[in-house]
Amino acid sequence: MSATLTEAHPSTVTPEMEKAHRALIDESTRLPVVLFYASAVFWLLVGTVFALLASFKMNAPTLLDQWGWMTFGRVRPAHLNAVAYGWAASAGIGTGLWLMARLCRTPLRHSKLLIGAAIFWNIGLLLGTLGILSGDGRSIEWLEFPNYASFMLFVAFGLIAVWAIIMFRFREPGHVYVSQWYLLAAFLWFPWLYSTANLLLNFEPIQGGAQGAVNWWYGHNALGLWFTPLGLATAYYLIPKVLGRPIHSYYLSILGFWSLALFYSWNGMHHLIGGPFPAWLISASVVASVMMFIPVITTAINHHMTVRGNFHALKWSPTLRFTVFGAMCYTLASVQGSFMAIPSLNIITHFTHYTVGHAHLGLYAFFTMIMFGAMYYILPRVVGWEWPSARLIRWHFWLVAIGIGMMVVVLTIGGILQGLALLDPNITFMATLDYTKPWLFLRSVSGVLLTAGHIVFAVSFTLLLLKVGSLRTAPTLFGSDQGRQPEPLNV
Amino acid sequence: MNTIVYILLAAGLIFFGGTTLAAFYWAAKTGQFRNLEDGSKTIFDEDEPVGTATDAFADKQADRPLRRGAVSIRS
Repeated sequence: MSATLTEAHPSTVTPEMEKAHRALIDESTRLPVVLFYASAVFWLLVGTVFALLASFKMNAPTLLDQWGWMTFGRVRPAHLNAVAYGWAASAGIGTGLWLMARLCRTPLRHSKLLIGAAIFWNIGLLLGTLGILSGDGRSIEWLEFPNYASFMLFVAFGLIAVWAIIMFRFREPGHVYVSQWYLLAAFLWFPWLYSTANLLLNFEPIQGGAQGAVNWWYGHNALGLWFTPLGLATAYYLIPKVLGRPIHSYYLSILGFWSLALFYSWNGMHHLIGGPFPAWLISASVVASVMMFIPVITTAINHHMTVRGNFHALKWSPTLRFTVFGAMCYTLASVQGSFMAIPSLNIITHFTHYTVGHAHLGLYAFFTMIMFGAMYYILPRVVGWEWPSARLIRWHFWLVAIGIGMMVVVLTIGGILQGLALLDPNITFMATLDYTKPWLFLRSVSGVLLTAGHIVFAVSFTLLLLKVGSLRTAPTLFGSDQGRQPEPLNV
Repeated sequence: MNTIVYILLAAGLIFFGGTTLAAFYWAAKTGQFRNLEDGSKTIFDEDEPVGTATDAFADKQADRPLRRGAVSIRS
């Protein structure tokens, strides 16, 4: 009689059985995870092309403007949606599916739901991107996709939410690990956020200023209640797992989750400081934004203290290097965000490139880097094939790490100069733009570095999926090609 | 703006707020907030125990990829 691992008597479970069970779980996630990951990499490249174009247009405004569909007003939202929904969300879903199966300690069931979701997802992205380029886009930030595309995305989100509930219902008994709380929150809350915002803004639009409030309620929650939980769930699993060391303070991690759930949804209105909105609405949001220090600091302490003493592991583990980079940037981006909500600082940074730098610090330096780390860990286990080359991974890391670091720094400096100039009544608006020019040029340079990094990653990814080369039994670690052995870990 | 949309939104608000509170209540009641140190170790097992780095590839899995249902553990 066959039985699941947990039904077996504990004394009869051997490490070999656990290994086989884990391999079975990983294997069961193969098709959905690879589908979402492959879509993610495809849309990353598409989004990068739009990003480069939009950035170059800041240096040369007439570039390609003979075609309406290549103008800034369309290329820029095409970039945002392709990277946010195409890359970041697809990568997050792929990672989330694998984590759900591992944390439920059961093979993935009903993969047809997920394959259906992936199909709807990609059709929606394609229709949406083409819609934006052809002039069908809505001028609502984060929700530019026309209704026929956003409906497809909603169906995909809905299927994934239903799947997540079924997985959780049929999990093996035992403790619910902190990552799973984050995943359930993301998978269940996001379809609601997405549908509510689309309903109120695109399908049955409400009137006047209230649109702004709904817009930023959604825009900020998409970051905080969708991308943030997916990224943190991944970090809370991978950092302890790679190091073989439990989270420093599990108590703090649970506190972090529930305080995020409590405070985050209030945050969006800080985008509207100075706008035509009731003062209490803005004030409550500013207070909640500062309260975000609680979940952020608990997470920062936890991740730092878990890695402490083992920072040398960053030298050999690709997963850890990307994930720890991302986790550190989560703290940076969140603390910066809390400060940006304080009205006396917001008055400088609002409507400047500083905000663009902050957005890339959050969605790229934090979220995207953690997703790269997760892919380096998950794909070999799911596909049964190792990454082709440590050198490619190393190039990938340094190109994107330097690229994103440079982008955030130059946009921050350029944004502050721009903000101060905008506040100076002696400087004309046209003259304020001159302050940004050198920084925008450097931003394009950083964009080229990121693009190169993405191409390297896409090559590496494709070689792995095609199983090019001979089968290796050792993991692809940094330094392994120089014959160095990893140093022992402190536990 | 029609009434159905308002009703839908109110229902959504109550449902999702309610499920979050219910989840918190359930977690407290079923002891998810107790024995936290043990909870933090649930992602480890005998094969990948505390103290072993795992950014290494399970080579056995690569030699012979497992099929779904191929593992049967006798109790």
